[in-house]
Amino acid sequence: QVGKGELRKIPVPANRYTPLKENWMKIFTPIVEHLQLQIRFNLKTRNVEIKTCQETKDLSALTKAADFVKAFILGFQVEDALALIRLDDLFLESFEVTDVKPLKGDHLSRAIGRIAGKGGKTKFTIENVTRTRIVLADAKIHILGSFQNIKMARTAICNLILGSPPSKVYGNIRAVASRAAERF
Amino acid sequence: AVPGIVRIQTCLRVAGAAAARPECFLSVQDGLAADFRAMTKTLYDLNKRSNIVRGGPLKELMIENFDEEQIWQQLELQNNAVLDFFKKSIAKDAEDEDLCLLSDQEAEGSDAETSSDKEFEDNIMEAETEQMNVYTKDKHKTKAKEKQSKLKSKSLMQKYSDEDSDIDFDIEALEQQTKTAKETTLRKKGRKSVVDDKFFKLAEMETFLEHAEKEDKEEEDDDDDINYFEDIISDDEEDSEEAKVKPIKSSRDMTYKDFFDSVDDDDGDDDLVANDAEEDQEEEADSAIEEQNEESMSEFEDMDEVVEHMRSKEASKKVTFNLPDDSETEHVTEVQLEKEINPNEIKSSFEKRQEKMSKKIKSLEEALLEEKPWQLKGEVTGQKRPENSLLEETVLFDHAVRMAPVITEETTFQLEDIIKQRILDEAWDDVVPKEKPKEEAFEYKKRISLDHEKSKLSLAEIYEQEYMKLHQQKTEEEENPEHKEIQEMMDSLFQKLDALCNFHFTPKPPVPEVKIVSNLPAISMEEVAPVAVSDAALLAPEEIKKKNKAGDVKTDAEKTPTDKKRERRRKKLRKRMRQREKEQRQKLLEKMKPEQGTKLSKKAAAAKLKRLTKEGKASLLKDEGKDKALKSSQAFFSQLQDQVRMQIKDASKLKKKQKKEKAISVHKLKL
Repeated sequence: QVGKGELRKIPVPANRYTPLKENWMKIFTPIVEHLQLQIRFNLKTRNVEIKTCQETKDLSALTKAADFVKAFILGFQVEDALALIRLDDLFLESFEVTDVKPLKGDHLSRAIGRIAGKGGKTKFTIENVTRTRIVLADAKIHILGSFQNIKMARTAICNLILGSPPSKVYGNIRAVASRAAERF
Repeated sequence: AVPGIVRIQTCLRVAGAAAARPECFLSVQDGLAADFRAMTKTLYDLNKRSNIVRGGPLKELMIENFDEEQIWQQLELQNNAVLDFFKKSIAKDAEDEDLCLLSDQEAEGSDAETSSDKEFEDNIMEAETEQMNVYTKDKHKTKAKEKQSKLKSKSLMQKYSDEDSDIDFDIEALEQQTKTAKETTLRKKGRKSVVDDKFFKLAEMETFLEHAEKEDKEEEDDDDDINYFEDIISDDEEDSEEAKVKPIKSSRDMTYKDFFDSVDDDDGDDDLVANDAEEDQEEEADSAIEEQNEESMSEFEDMDEVVEHMRSKEASKKVTFNLPDDSETEHVTEVQLEKEINPNEIKSSFEKRQEKMSKKIKSLEEALLEEKPWQLKGEVTGQKRPENSLLEETVLFDHAVRMAPVITEETTFQLEDIIKQRILDEAWDDVVPKEKPKEEAFEYKKRISLDHEKSKLSLAEIYEQEYMKLHQQKTEEEENPEHKEIQEMMDSLFQKLDALCNFHFTPKPPVPEVKIVSNLPAISMEEVAPVAVSDAALLAPEEIKKKNKAGDVKTDAEKTPTDKKRERRRKKLRKRMRQREKEQRQKLLEKMKPEQGTKLSKKAAAAKLKRLTKEGKASLLKDEGKDKALKSSQAFFSQLQDQVRMQIKDASKLKKKQKKEKAISVHKLKL
């Protein structure tokens, strides 16, 4: 049983305001029904606020809900972010392209282009092979998945940033993923 | 004078009584202390009365209510006067040339001829007194005795203290005597050899050499050994018994007498030697007169030496060396002497055994005490052991490397047995050729296919499906074993039934158990698009055409000369193979069906052509060279020219021929 009511606030940037409005049903339903928490969007402060109440059974529910909303705000789909609630061992990692290699101007743009691929092809390939979800927001990269998979995806993305061609990256991740699959 | 003597006698009696029971001095003896004090007083007063020594402040010794320290100090006051007196008297006597030592020596000699131990003690005492006489050179025996007694008392005083045990004068003498008794200084009565002479004894020489060798070895260790030719007298010498060196003279003053006993008599003039000894002692005494205690000690030692000489009078005259460590050899000699004392007795077997045992023990002990042989001395370099000594030793050492196996008959037999057995078992050690695993084309499919599109399932659903798959597998495994068992049992049953009812029954060949495991990834299974459209069923290009070993397909321009040559070779090889096949087929055909064969063969065709041309049914076309390719204009024109010339020739020939033919043909005219 939770004692005092705890509150979490997640700020919403302007560009995610409309998607939030559109997906509000899908967001609050699992939080309220499955996690027994209270949620609201504070229009003045532009924050999503989640609060525990008397019906809340699990203390970790609040953290999960906060993570779920944060993932959506970052750019993930609701269904993908929902996995955070359903599975315990999923994590969210964020880093910047310039963390890997100091790039500026056109080089930076080219690196981002390499990561995305034509029509998002490369990004989707990495997602499919490593069973993760990637959000590429300008120079920021967010990866959602289990620990090992995040590692694989991160390696692939870093290789792309550092300049290796996509075909090579495909080969590598394929090999790694097959090895991981064999183990289990 | 008489009361003086009486008093002295009483003193002596008291001292003797006290000395007889030395063990009581272990504790404090107050009564004896008082007696001694009284004794001291009487002696002191006597001395003062006799007025031999002049000077000194105190007329009599005060002992009542006086401390030991105070009594000592009173005595000390007397010392200076006494010393002066002594100096004067000795100086006087030294100048006196009439005096000599011989008379005294004879007296000593006569005394020393008796060789019993009891008399020895007396001899020491008397000799001592005579020594005193020698020192003081005073003919007054009483005075000398007084002085002697005083000296005794003084030495007594010096040794006396309340709490320590007294070393009585007599006790001291006793001690000395026991010491000397140990150090018997018999000259060697060794084995007698042919070489022996008045001067020379072989046995002595041998012992001396051994001794010298030992000392040579000790020289390395001992730096304190005395250098025989040095003039230094160390302080230890005078105290230690071993330093029985004669008062060392400087090397310049050494004479024959110092090295050798006198040559003439065997019972010789030890007196002479003793005289010399005593002269030397006197000289020393002059220099060392202040240290009375040490003097007395050295006196005893010198006395001992004199006595030694006297004892050796019995032995024959020989060459002797002035050795500092005579005690060792003398030990040995004493033992030897004792052995030889009873040569004539018959010994019982037990005694013999005992003797042998003791000999053995002795030899073992000596061996233990001696220096170890080089074999037992740890690390020994070549310099430290005798030459080629290692050759005679059997040396064991560890080998770091495994030794090569020794090949003997037995080992060869063993090997042969193994070989024979192997041959019988047919257990060869053949090399199994390695095969490169060839990856088939459809293996590509099994690998994870790369989907370049956004996945249709969300992440949650993907994980959900994985989870379900894992759990489903578990359930599958649980079910199967039961089915398997049932199946097996039924099979065996039916087999037996068949065998029973069917005589011509041949059992079915064993079916290899095939388990179909679908290894396709989940994504390909869940392909939503229709099969016709999806490219999952399509073959990969490698499945259609095998990839070239060289790599990519090249155009003629891209090919390197090696590639071209390779291709040419392959083409020729193919052609060669085809040709061979053809020939083989032909051969076969000829054998099987000769008619058909001959029709088609080359030989047959050539033969046919010849026949035909001969007969005239066929004519060979002339090769006018028109088929040749004309490469240059010159060639073209020259050919053209030739052609025209040929034509003209032919034409002319034809005309000639026609004419000829017209002219001649009678046959045709029919005339």
